[in-house]
Amino acid sequence: MNKLKNQINTDDSNVPREDLYEEAKVLFSEGLVQHLKAKGLDVIECQSEGIYINDINGNRFIDCYSAASTYNLGRKNKTVVDSLKSAAKETDCGNFILVSEEKAELSNKLANFIDGDLSCVLFTVVRGEAMDAACKLARGYTGKTGLISVDGGWYGHTGFAMGLSERIDNDRYGRLIPDQSIVEFNNIKAAKKSIENNTAAFILEPLQVEKGCRLVDKDYLLELKEVCEHYGALLIFDETQTGFGRTGHKFVKDYYGVDPDIMLFGEAITTGLFPMTGMVFTPIVKSFFDIHPLIHLCTFGGHDVGCRVACKTLDVYEQICPWIQSNETGSLLLDHLRNIQSLYPDLIRSVSGLGLVNAISFTNEELAQLFCMTARKKGFIVLQGLVARESVVFRPPLTITHDELNRLMELISSTMKAINNSEILI
Amino acid sequence: MGTELFSKMRTKKIFKQFGDHISKGQIRYLSAGHLDMLERNRQDVKFSDATTGKTYFDGFSSAGSFNTGRRNTRIIEALCNSLHEYDMGTPLLLSRSKIEFARKLVDLAPGDLNKIVFTGSGADSIEAAIKLAKGATGREEIISMDKAYHGHSGFSLSAGGKDYYKALFQPLMPGFRLAPFGNFEAIKKLASMKTAAILIEPIQGEGGIHVGASKYLQNLRQLCDDLGIVLIFDEIQTGFGRTGRIWFSEYSGVVPDVMALAKSIGGGVYPNAAIVYRDIPKLTEFVNENPFFHTSSGGGTNIACRISSEVIDELLEKQLWKNAEKMGKRLNKGLTEIMLQHPESILEVRGKGLMIGIEYRHEFMGMLMADSLSKSSIFAAYSGNAPQVMRFMLPLTVTEKEIDDFLKKFRKAVTIQGYYLFILRPLIKIPIFRKWVNDPNNLISISSFLRKFGF
Repeated sequence: MNKLKNQINTDDSNVPREDLYEEAKVLFSEGLVQHLKAKGLDVIECQSEGIYINDINGNRFIDCYSAASTYNLGRKNKTVVDSLKSAAKETDCGNFILVSEEKAELSNKLANFIDGDLSCVLFTVVRGEAMDAACKLARGYTGKTGLISVDGGWYGHTGFAMGLSERIDNDRYGRLIPDQSIVEFNNIKAAKKSIENNTAAFILEPLQVEKGCRLVDKDYLLELKEVCEHYGALLIFDETQTGFGRTGHKFVKDYYGVDPDIMLFGEAITTGLFPMTGMVFTPIVKSFFDIHPLIHLCTFGGHDVGCRVACKTLDVYEQICPWIQSNETGSLLLDHLRNIQSLYPDLIRSVSGLGLVNAISFTNEELAQLFCMTARKKGFIVLQGLVARESVVFRPPLTITHDELNRLMELISSTMKAINNSEILI
Repeated sequence: MGTELFSKMRTKKIFKQFGDHISKGQIRYLSAGHLDMLERNRQDVKFSDATTGKTYFDGFSSAGSFNTGRRNTRIIEALCNSLHEYDMGTPLLLSRSKIEFARKLVDLAPGDLNKIVFTGSGADSIEAAIKLAKGATGREEIISMDKAYHGHSGFSLSAGGKDYYKALFQPLMPGFRLAPFGNFEAIKKLASMKTAAILIEPIQGEGGIHVGASKYLQNLRQLCDDLGIVLIFDEIQTGFGRTGRIWFSEYSGVVPDVMALAKSIGGGVYPNAAIVYRDIPKLTEFVNENPFFHTSSGGGTNIACRISSEVIDELLEKQLWKNAEKMGKRLNKGLTEIMLQHPESILEVRGKGLMIGIEYRHEFMGMLMADSLSKSSIFAAYSGNAPQVMRFMLPLTVTEKEIDDFLKKFRKAVTIQGYYLFILRPLIKIPIFRKWVNDPNNLISISSFLRKFGF
């Protein structure tokens, strides 16, 4: 019944890295391993700690990816790790259809944590699912079908999320969800033209992390909110990468002073110790779930262990207010990146960001890839944007200290210097 | 794990918070079936209500998430130990934890299901499976089954077979067609060179525990081979020993092209999920060229892979599927005896291993039985897509003694149900009343009303 295959002893720290890559080719795909090697991501991760990704060979790298803005409190925050241990000893995922103290407590805590009227919640597991749920809630609540987003968005890999994202592979899976459209980013005329009586929601990331960390204008959001209200369409913000202090504010909506009707959050809610995402929304919109209970189910969503971990993470957020720190360190980093831009105007087209989510946009994709490869050799891991491949995004843990940030900035400078001297450019 | 009961005030506060921030409707729905308990002392096959202290059999197991038993000590230890080394990890980076689990899973998977994509949940697995099929074949159409349940995100919901979950969110994806489960001729008529995949739960869970016959599944395999269609088995509920075999597909010997997994893979303590697919050029080449065609930040995490490895070790060492087969037979036999004594209530007992469905005579009886069972200390849920069918999915660690005790309690519940029926039977002969009472919303109102008087 069970096949006999070559087992590798993964407890043996002497297993050569190449053997692990060969095994990964067999199990996952050759394409994956080729990609990792080409992008400087051929790191076998182990014992990551604080702001560092560590590998099995004892190398360490400053984590400038943070699992797409997940590790806001650093890798393996001790208080949160302890909460996961104690939760595992006391509870489990729970029967998903039942009420639990864990779900109730987290929902209440989250309502208190988030400023404004977004006091209701649905828990999901992956980011795409949170977006799909938001689109469904918008359609269900409004009774309308139109879903509009802007170019440059990236919302995940599930059905609704894909159609709203700017992806090169969207034509590979047949027709996606109908009545979805994409209009120009930050163009209020384009938004106004698209929103009409059948619009269920207008969806955007006010700060597009994967598109060179570009931001919409405040006036745009204010006017957009008005137009949505006028037509009875919901305004949805995806804050999976900008939430929980990443931008120097609790959420980027606070920076703008514009509250959406639905807001998505990512795994920063557990600072990377438990897979949990979700959406918060206003009590008015929540009436849909009161009338139609259990219409969107998720076995692992609102997992009781995860809820405890998230509660503890929120406690730590409240205690240390990492948005204050990220506001300050983020300004230093952004200034540094702008200085670098002025040094290499031929290589860097723009620098953009807020708090500790910043991007350099190079003049071409190859430079961005070269930067990531070189960075890895210098000692930090950074990734290209998924939409703007010519950009690299810096999103280290918010707990990065001044000394650590200074070290990172030195490494960035030295990486740019190396690129500038690279033979590829000659 | 405290033994002190929750005060009424604490319980009230929990329900108020849940109602205010999550859903009042859900509380109303659960209360109607006496399912408004708060799980505590979760252990093996049971839990107790934090407010009353009453102990319940977990007959639902979060739709089959607790195959290795609730709060299995070994798995909890694996979770705690993993934390010395790991957190969720970096999605793109490899780790020993990921590679070790991937190896264990493909070794356990049937036939040449040798390749893996990590996902974050059952629905996410279905998203990945459908995308793989569409991408690899370049075709658009997907055939799934009436009453099928595959999840709530875009692709998986489009493949779902129940209107309640879909109607308010239309339009969903075009190109999805439904066929009656078990009817090969119907599928044959729908299948063509435009079909990317046939997606099926080999035992329909939410649809009412319909067991796919071996011949039917073999015919599907042949049809897919003939037309170049990708055959996807959703073994999210049936996998990991639930049906008396490690995979339900072993009964028919059919190896699907893609198998979607979730639920029990996480040992009941941490989310994880995956698809495994056959190492055949069509699929392997597509993934090679598109290694990130589907990624999940919360799927295949380092902690989760450590736990899932332990789940597989536990399953194999304890040979839990064998216990599932033995206990399933005992439970099935006992339930069948009760059915023969109560033909007015129970129409059929069916299933495989510890995935057993009881079909009641009328749709409204699902909710009433959930209520009667709850009063008799069994927590069970009726099927979302077929309310007249109740699913029993006890943890696979259940013992003979516990099965016998469970049957005793079930018998008591059927007796309680008899009282309801005594009142209702004359009324349900009237078509309008029958239609009215079969609507769950009306039942919720009646039940809520009755509860006020202590029922």
